Amino acid sequence: MRKFFKILAISALFSMPLASPVAAQDGQVKITNSVKIEQVSQSDSGEPQVKLVDPDVFIPGGRLIFVTDYQNDGAEPATNFVVTNPLHSAVRLADDADPDLTVSADGGTVWGKLSELTVSSEDGSTVAASHDDVTHIRWTLAEVAPGASGRIKYPVIIR
Amino acid sequence: MKNAQKYVVALSLPLAALVATPAYAAGVDAGTLIENTAQATYDAGGGTETVDSNTVIVKVDELLDVTLTSLDPGAINTAPGPEVLTFEITNTGNGPEAFTLTADPVVPGNDFDTTVDSIAIDTNGNGVYDPGVDQILTGPETTPVLDADENLTIFVLVTVPAGVADSDLSDVELTAEAVTGTGAPGTTFAGQGENGSDAVVGLTGADANAIGSLQVVITTVDLLKSATIVDPFGGTSSVPGSVITYTIAAEVTGSGSVDDLLITDPYPAGTTYIPGTLTLDGGALTDAAGDDAGDADATRISVDLGTVAGGTTRSVTFDVEID
Repeated sequence: MRKFFKILAISALFSMPLASPVAAQDGQVKITNSVKIEQVSQSDSGEPQVKLVDPDVFIPGGRLIFVTDYQNDGAEPATNFVVTNPLHSAVRLADDADPDLTVSADGGTVWGKLSELTVSSEDGSTVAASHDDVTHIRWTLAEVAPGASGRIKYPVIIR
Repeated sequence: MKNAQKYVVALSLPLAALVATPAYAAGVDAGTLIENTAQATYDAGGGTETVDSNTVIVKVDELLDVTLTSLDPGAINTAPGPEVLTFEITNTGNGPEAFTLTADPVVPGNDFDTTVDSIAIDTNGNGVYDPGVDQILTGPETTPVLDADENLTIFVLVTVPAGVADSDLSDVELTAEAVTGTGAPGTTFAGQGENGSDAVVGLTGADANAIGSLQVVITTVDLLKSATIVDPFGGTSSVPGSVITYTIAAEVTGSGSVDDLLITDPYPAGTTYIPGTLTLDGGALTDAAGDDAGDADATRISVDLGTVAGGTTRSVTFDVEID
């Protein structure tokens, strides 16, 4: 039954204009998004432990972790695996996000480390992009082997 | 829901709109839906495949925050009778909220306590209390719903009692509390926020207070009139030809000052002003009007002292001759 619906969904995709002519094979790689917060606790040995837990409060200034889990359920490796995550305008990338993240500050046209990007200010001059300006985040993995899974995540602040 | 739709639309706008950073003074509006969907592409089996993640939607909760400040520049100079204290309330939360107001005239340290007559809002927005125009709130005094970042001028109408003394001070404390609830920061009122979100008490505790101050300024003027007589023979008898020198001491007391203090004194019947004898604080004044503070005509002297501060005594003298 489940399979039937998936086939339906794919044929719907086909009928859409601009759909990729190369049909996605049925769910070889799955990605699952979730929103978490970091909870710091102490382990038995007294070390601080950071756990990701489900948040119950979403208030301006609050910090969230956007998580994407991926898993290759297929029999073949998935190569050139690129995950793109657009940021909602109501959140901004947290200042302590990994500076090596590949991001875009212009809606997904130009990509790079945040420190390499620029944006146009209101007076038309070009200024260095800040965490506030990030519109998309992207990860690239050369290969996700069959059966492999992983998690990518980044922190945001509710504006 | 309206707001959520706004953001969804914003995401589909072209690049330029995305680059602009929205200005959120109090943070994202309560009830906003933050959606997050990731997309992956990869190569497998000779083609590029694209897969979307599920969409995670979180709803921004309503932060309950408020600030209150006195708009009076300092203690208002007052005297027994009605007085108006002016405050400003600002909804510093991120959703629409109304606030209950309480004015307490009994503040520790008060030299006297006022009576609070009513609390009014600045209906016409001119910053000044206009009786009959600005709406007087009825109990429980509650502001209209204020949007996020919206502020409102509040008037507390009090009466200063009789019997207060000069320089006495009195404070009135106004308190505002979010109608949804107050408490320690983080206190949550499930489902009571905008658009079905939770309402969460912010750092202000969802309440605020501010002090308005009054200081009694009672300024009094005492006029002391005295006379000395010199008769034509060097004595002090009141006979025709005797010269009477009148001295009027105007003593102003109190912490304030009096304005437009005008001293006039008609000549006693049976006497005639001796021209050129009018003085103020020992200095001569002309009899003509308009050239200095004083003038003397056929019936009276007049000296305009203008504004005189408390603690000052001004002295006017003039001579008349007994007919």
